[in-house]
Amino acid sequence: MTRLIVRRLLLGLLTLWLISLVVFAAMLALPGDAATAILGREATPERVAALRDQLNLEDSVVSQYLQWIGGVITGSFGESAATQQPVSELLSERVGNSLFLVFVASIVAIPLSIVIGVWLAMKRDKPVDHVGSTVSLILAALPEFVIGLGLVLLFATSVFQWFPAVSLLAPGERAWEAPEYVVLPAATLVLAVTPYISRIMRGSMVEVLESEYVTMARLKGLPERTVIWRHAVPNAIVPAIQVAALQLAWMAGGVVLVEYVFSYPGIGQLLVEAVANRDMLVVQAVVMLAAAVYVLMNLVADLATILVTPKLRTAAR
Amino acid sequence: MTDPRLEWLDDPVTRRQVLRGALSGAVVLGAGGMLGACGDDDDGGGGGGGGTPAQSEGQLRSGGQLRVGATGGGAKDTIDAHRPTVDTDIMRCWNLYESLAVRTPDFSELQMLLAESIEPEAKPDTWTVRLKQGVTFHNGKPVTADDVIFSLKRILDPKDPKVGAASIGYITQNQLRKMDDRTVRIKLEFANSGFPDDLGQYFNAIVPTDYNVENPVGTGPFMYKSFTAGQQSEFTKYPDYHEDGKPYVDSLTIIDFPSDEARTNALLGGQVDVIDNLPAAQVQNAEANPNLRVLSSETGAWQPFTMRIDQAPFDDNRVRQAFRLIVDREQMVQQVLSGHGSVANDLYARYDPMYAGDLPQRQQDLDQAKSLLKQAGREGLSVELVTAPVFQGIVQAAQVFAEQAKGAGVNVRVRRVDSGTFYGDNYLSWTFAQDFWASRVYLSQVAQGDLPDSPFNETHWPPDEKFINLIQQARAEVDEAKRREILHECQTMQYEQGGYIIPYFSNIIDAYSAKLGGFVEAKCGFPFGNYWLKNVGFLA
Repeated sequence: MTRLIVRRLLLGLLTLWLISLVVFAAMLALPGDAATAILGREATPERVAALRDQLNLEDSVVSQYLQWIGGVITGSFGESAATQQPVSELLSERVGNSLFLVFVASIVAIPLSIVIGVWLAMKRDKPVDHVGSTVSLILAALPEFVIGLGLVLLFATSVFQWFPAVSLLAPGERAWEAPEYVVLPAATLVLAVTPYISRIMRGSMVEVLESEYVTMARLKGLPERTVIWRHAVPNAIVPAIQVAALQLAWMAGGVVLVEYVFSYPGIGQLLVEAVANRDMLVVQAVVMLAAAVYVLMNLVADLATILVTPKLRTAAR
Repeated sequence: MTDPRLEWLDDPVTRRQVLRGALSGAVVLGAGGMLGACGDDDDGGGGGGGGTPAQSEGQLRSGGQLRVGATGGGAKDTIDAHRPTVDTDIMRCWNLYESLAVRTPDFSELQMLLAESIEPEAKPDTWTVRLKQGVTFHNGKPVTADDVIFSLKRILDPKDPKVGAASIGYITQNQLRKMDDRTVRIKLEFANSGFPDDLGQYFNAIVPTDYNVENPVGTGPFMYKSFTAGQQSEFTKYPDYHEDGKPYVDSLTIIDFPSDEARTNALLGGQVDVIDNLPAAQVQNAEANPNLRVLSSETGAWQPFTMRIDQAPFDDNRVRQAFRLIVDREQMVQQVLSGHGSVANDLYARYDPMYAGDLPQRQQDLDQAKSLLKQAGREGLSVELVTAPVFQGIVQAAQVFAEQAKGAGVNVRVRRVDSGTFYGDNYLSWTFAQDFWASRVYLSQVAQGDLPDSPFNETHWPPDEKFINLIQQARAEVDEAKRREILHECQTMQYEQGGYIIPYFSNIIDAYSAKLGGFVEAKCGFPFGNYWLKNVGFLA
């Protein structure tokens, strides 16, 4: 097991390094640089030259990359070209907010979708199952920013005024200090991921409910509650864990769109802006972070699968 | 990075259209009031070209906290008096700092602000600025000639030229002379009777000699309290402001909104009291909301298509004229601005007293366009139009133009890039692209974009020396009637041969809570009339 984890972590590092190369190359391929992007419309040649000089943009590509990777190894992500702030400082404020959002969304979404999946499987082919399937298909098909704007219309502006429409955290204020700003963005994420997980859960639950050992358990006279939660669910949950992990990993990136809709000060907003500003080091840091989350979530999902699957659990020893 | 799903992010209007499609027009998104609003989509009908001032009546009271939603903003935001680039920067600058003079919101006159007078000597290549008495910076220090000289030198600094360097670069720096504490003598490299207007731009503000961006001090109606790039900035009322009784409110918070939807929603949800640049398509809905007021002002702001007159196919004037005849301007105002704009005539500076308003209004004439293209040997022409979501509506304008061009057998391929690319290495040298400009007087505008040494000469105008000579004559001419004559000739040249297609002047649309008053129309092309939140207060 330890060997497996170490091996996976090393592979993860390799993946991250490759991603850093790709992102670096992609940023270089984009026309314009930080100086022209920051000055925007006011980019006269004189001002661009002065700013390029200030930002050390005249260094060669290789030396820029080596400088960056050297910094990362020593724990420094460099300075943002747009704000002159250390990237780590810029990120630390935002990362907390984004993680909190994803965390709230997942602790709601995962149990919720498992319960929904189980329930729909038990009501298989009844009207409620059809309605549930249809609704989840519709939600899955809607882009998350549409869901977000729908929630705003419903709960913030037009129908009810229960929650703030926009997450205006004061500078320095953290998301957990103002939970009312997290409700609608988190609800959006929940609605975006729940359909996937619950559909998988329903599918595998249906399969399990048809299996012989469930029939056996029922014939044995076990109460239905025990049959479902003790015998059926633990066996049906593996595919759901995999999908849930994928969804969590997706959230690390999908949060971009949701944050934009709500003006939520997280890494998503930071990334969109950094790309527009050609703010190389910030883009690198955010992408690395999202990629690291992706790698880790996949690892966690695999480990969880191993832990709930006896066959794999013993094999891995 | 090139994920098409992200593309809408920087383009509010496209996004709104996507959404409109997604919800089949049933729900008017993000806009006020109604769900399932009778299937009448919000395009097209908008309240006509005219600014219908939703002027609040009643007295304003002192006090209250004003929260303003500003368009855009992000990590590159600045509070430096001389580096404003985006909307949020500009709003902060107007409220924190002041220039020597300023065009009034109705654009009718140049009002003295910190200066008591800006007078030329016999020839307008030497000017004397006399400061008002008793105007103080937020730290209590009076504004003196030293501050003026310091500020101008800071703007012009050749090692680090600021935004304003492009407008007053013709000041002879080593001949800035302090005559006494309140008087500065400024020598120019050439005679220019339009100098006070160039000086009176918001980015040429006066700051004290010990100016420190970390704790910025100005003379404006509001004092600095805090600033967080990409989020918000806070200000408090400057009690000793030199206009009595202003500002009305005790504190001002300017909040960044990269997304148009979020800004509008924040207003609807009561999280901010006022926003600038309400998307035109949402005006009707906001007007239907009893808690909101909308002020749509006609302005002199223009968003041209830019044709490079020194590059094929636009080096042939017949092609340029044909392209100008392709545009159905009225349709463009309706489709792009939902009616919130007015038709233009390929000339800028409509509010300059010397605007050549007598030249006939150019109309769409596809037959004439086709025939001109045929004469030029350019039948079935195919060109690329580079556009970017750098200003509301211009990407849509590009699409509408491409559609209209089909009528003349011209194939316009719209190439949409992000703003970083647009302002990248090809900036100011695209063959066929777009841009946006605020209201300016004619000569200031020419200096910015239509002379060989202009910083933003995107059409590579003029075609010959004649135009340059005329402009130099006009600048040196002190007799108004003669200047009018010369400038008319200049504008006629541009009308007949220019590289700009100027289809319309766009409106500025402010939206605010019905609890507020004091908003004025903004012909100047800046929201709230010069962003002057000092005039805004809560109704008594």
